[in-house]
Amino acid sequence: MAAPMNSVGKTSADRLQANCTSFQKKTRSKLISIPGTRPSVQNGQLLVSTGVTSLDYLLGGGLAVGTVLLIEEDRFDSYSRMILKYFLAEGVVCRHELFVATAQDNPDEILQPRPTGEPQDSLDAMTIAWRYQNLPKVQSALASSSRFGHYYDVSKTMEAEIRQAAKCHCFYLPDHITPSSAAHSARVESYSALLKSLQEVIHREGFDLSKSRNILRVGLHSLGSALWGDDLCCHDKPRHSHALTTFLYGLRALLRSSLSVAVVTLPSHLIQDRALMGNITRLCDNAIALESFKGSERETNPLYKDYHGLLFVRQVPHLNCLARQLPDHKDLAFKLKRKQFTIEVFTHFAPPKLSSHVPQSKVLEDEALKNADGTQLHSLYLCLTL
Amino acid sequence: MLSELLQGIESGGFLIIRDSCSYSGRDLLKSFITAALNREEVIHVLCFDVSEEELKDGLKPSDTQRFHIHNAYSDPLGWTGHPNFTAQQFSLEDLTNLVKQTSQPKPAVLVIDSLSWILRHKTPPAVCQTLQQLRKGGAVRAVIGLLHTDMHQRGTVGSVCHLATSLISVAPGVKGKEAVARVTKRSKSGKVMQDEEIFCIAEDFTVTILSKASHAEHKTNSTEEEQADPTANLTFNLRLSDSELEAKQKLTLPFVFSKEKKTALLYPGPGSGRILYEPDANDDYDQEDPDDDLDV
Repeated sequence: MAAPMNSVGKTSADRLQANCTSFQKKTRSKLISIPGTRPSVQNGQLLVSTGVTSLDYLLGGGLAVGTVLLIEEDRFDSYSRMILKYFLAEGVVCRHELFVATAQDNPDEILQPRPTGEPQDSLDAMTIAWRYQNLPKVQSALASSSRFGHYYDVSKTMEAEIRQAAKCHCFYLPDHITPSSAAHSARVESYSALLKSLQEVIHREGFDLSKSRNILRVGLHSLGSALWGDDLCCHDKPRHSHALTTFLYGLRALLRSSLSVAVVTLPSHLIQDRALMGNITRLCDNAIALESFKGSERETNPLYKDYHGLLFVRQVPHLNCLARQLPDHKDLAFKLKRKQFTIEVFTHFAPPKLSSHVPQSKVLEDEALKNADGTQLHSLYLCLTL
Repeated sequence: MLSELLQGIESGGFLIIRDSCSYSGRDLLKSFITAALNREEVIHVLCFDVSEEELKDGLKPSDTQRFHIHNAYSDPLGWTGHPNFTAQQFSLEDLTNLVKQTSQPKPAVLVIDSLSWILRHKTPPAVCQTLQQLRKGGAVRAVIGLLHTDMHQRGTVGSVCHLATSLISVAPGVKGKEAVARVTKRSKSGKVMQDEEIFCIAEDFTVTILSKASHAEHKTNSTEEEQADPTANLTFNLRLSDSELEAKQKLTLPFVFSKEKKTALLYPGPGSGRILYEPDANDDYDQEDPDDDLDV
């Protein structure tokens, strides 16, 4: 194509300037710009990263400010604790403030061996295909094209200066409630104490939009377990069945009126009343459930050997809009590597057997029939038709 | 793993032995007591289920200074007015006082026979909180408890076992005196190890581990058979010897650049090879509209 005549005689510097447009987009930012947050591409909500990039993708880009994420714990509480640690580590890296409440271990133990944050650029360098280093990896792991959040190396702990710089409010239940008084009371006192403490922190630090322009990340570990004084997990028909649901209602109201976001873990495998579990799920905005393979017979199953467990998305919210953004895939599995906690679509090809003595379909058939809690894995039926 | 647990429980540990009516875990509990006594540890036993004589039967405590039994069998609810130990006394202050009364320098191991009795008279959340505080408190070094799983609801058993650092579930074995133990151990770093073993207990309460359970062996067989080596049985050589591997790694590839050149190419700076293009009239040609070139 012919170049326009008027730009031929000019020097290259002038030519460059003529081609650069002087159009500047007017950014009247109605959204508060807080470090570590970004607006959602779907509905403009302010989003915060959970620390796990594939979990962010599942939740529609991140966790919306003012919402609650419920994590149903796996049997030994290893992976749900890890996600909570990622969440808090992300808060430290983004310079948000933290509020941690536990009944079992000291809150410092959850904060202490924290994964260290690394910026995304220092991923493993490739030796031959280095030109493709910066392109997003196309694989079965869920990721969005724009990067949000950091990668963490679980084997290292955060440097002390970064940890000191993070402002953290701790709530350790035995410090607040003497157990002898709790045993004699008719109501469960621990939840109201926690809610009061959280409200006081929000008001004092100004997260309810009065003073500060920062996010408060709330991490509540193992809510509903017997150590909180609640018999939800102990009895089939709990006496105080409304204590936790009332607390979650109050928590959500508190979060909606302030710049905070909460992650709650719950030992749901101990709760026998499924209707109550459904109520609890509905009271939280986002809900996922983890099922780890440790201890079950699936651990040695060749289908599952790449993964550490399955992940189920129980609920996705619809905030200020009519429809929910449901994830495309229903079978998700997670694995925890040293540098990353990835959630992938569960692709089940069994490796080709060089000495075939067990027919492929039989392995899958046995797997489809037995399942830990009786729910069906739809994907396995699809596999049988291949 | 059962033998490791018998040799010692780590400080702050909580071991639960789960049994049922088909196989009693009391013998295993007594073997733990025997092993701890042989290690010169101080033991306090809360005896709810069986009488003191029955518990001492077969145990040979060489040093009665270190072995204390608190009889809660004769009057557990305090009906006589001067009971020895009641179920209501299962709280942090009372237990700490009880353990400190004997004035031993080392922190003791508390053995509870059985937790089921206490769970029937106190609420499970209170029991769980007391156990958690005992572990953290420091008056007691470790806690061993016996729990009868068929006496409680699943949620109660699950909640109490959730607190445990080590869990042993015993079940009757195939042959007479043997039993199967499923051991789960949680370490402080969060790692979980599981094992299944067949054991039997001798008259003097020493435990002999017979073998791992049979289907564990079967699993290892099948994984070995699967990994057939594709580079075997070929007419040409696909493997590399060590010197060949070294030579391969030393080989410089044709487009390997230095780090500076790589970063320069990966992150292009301003003004380095931009394509300047202004679309002209010929680019308005629409493939789908055949009349586009008509000058109408």
